[in-house]
Amino acid sequence: MIHVDRSEKIYIIISVTLISVFFIALGISSFVYGFQVPVPEQRVDPRTIATPAPDNPFGEPGLRELVPGKKYEAYVLAQIWSFTPREIRVPAGSTVTFYVTSKDVQHGFRINETNVNMQIVPGEVSKLTITFDEPREYDFICHEYCGVGHQSMAGKIIVEP
Amino acid sequence: MNHPDGLAAEPKNSGRRWGFRPSFPVIMFSVLGFLTLGLFAFVTIRPIQVLPRITLGPGYFLTDANGAAVTNEDFRGSIVLYNFTYLNCTAPCPETSGTLQEVQARLDELDTGGIPVRLVTISFDPARDTPEALQAAAAKLGADPAVWTFLTGAPERLKWLIGGGFSVYYEEREPGDFRFDPAFMLVDGAGVLRAEYRTAVPDPDRILRDIRLVAEEVHNRQGVANYAYDAAHLFLCYPR
Repeated sequence: MIHVDRSEKIYIIISVTLISVFFIALGISSFVYGFQVPVPEQRVDPRTIATPAPDNPFGEPGLRELVPGKKYEAYVLAQIWSFTPREIRVPAGSTVTFYVTSKDVQHGFRINETNVNMQIVPGEVSKLTITFDEPREYDFICHEYCGVGHQSMAGKIIVEP
Repeated sequence: MNHPDGLAAEPKNSGRRWGFRPSFPVIMFSVLGFLTLGLFAFVTIRPIQVLPRITLGPGYFLTDANGAAVTNEDFRGSIVLYNFTYLNCTAPCPETSGTLQEVQARLDELDTGGIPVRLVTISFDPARDTPEALQAAAAKLGADPAVWTFLTGAPERLKWLIGGGFSVYYEEREPGDFRFDPAFMLVDGAGVLRAEYRTAVPDPDRILRDIRLVAEEVHNRQGVANYAYDAAHLFLCYPR
């Protein structure tokens, strides 16, 4: 066996141990916490997603009430270069679940000054839930470059008192 | 045995058998390695499959087709499949009672080991879906009163139950004309929501399989299997 210096040996042992611990921790925690890519909530067909149908909420995008003043869901359809709807009004203290998809190219959905930040991929529905506590306005923007009109792709959430 | 002379020398060279004497770190890393491999085998082969415990099912207080009060506690100990609709639902309204009809017809082929399976249709149109109307609908659908219950109640209670508890959207656009998302919910005997089918036409095979999995878990959770089932939940061993 080749001679390895004592200090080298210590470094090798420490680094191999660290890598092993991190690897095992990553493997186990990814199963324990169910890590997943935040995009694929549901698969849809981008060609027919905007077609109104009784079982297609994106055919009539907008805010939908689950419990008055408390719980809402917002279906937002992204396309070049706008969001439908452009304006969403919710009462303060309400919890809103956003379902966003694209009918053409890849977009982004970010509500400024909140944790909502999603990639919008055609054929997939992105989902995130947020509670709006105080009355104020938020801008939501497309933050994935999607063509020449990208900079005008934005909307507003108005949290009413 | 064949070399009696060698026996005396054996204790000195006990490491010879493998050609090396395993040191403590080697043993430790092997044990860790086997544990990790075993874990990965468990979560990839998934010998035990469970349905997720999504959340606690909502509580409610409604009335049935006989005008009697029914609460969620009445279904404790039973596996319950819910759907939400209104009786005047005609095309293009997404009709969901057909799936419950099929599940009811195929309950015989399912062995739940004595755990009752109940079907519950909740109408969100109490103004028109009176107890008499619910009775007529039950008769028309061939609902077995021992299995299939029809419920309705006060509008705000229904909103909190269906919209708040089950997160299923419905709204009265015009009087008597509802817009809603078709959905089915599976709640286990402990009142825990175990599966959601957010479509007008779910696969009945899948629903029956899910009911079977819930019943199996109840029966198999004994002794050591308890820990195996907890591990299956922890490592998300859900059916695909």
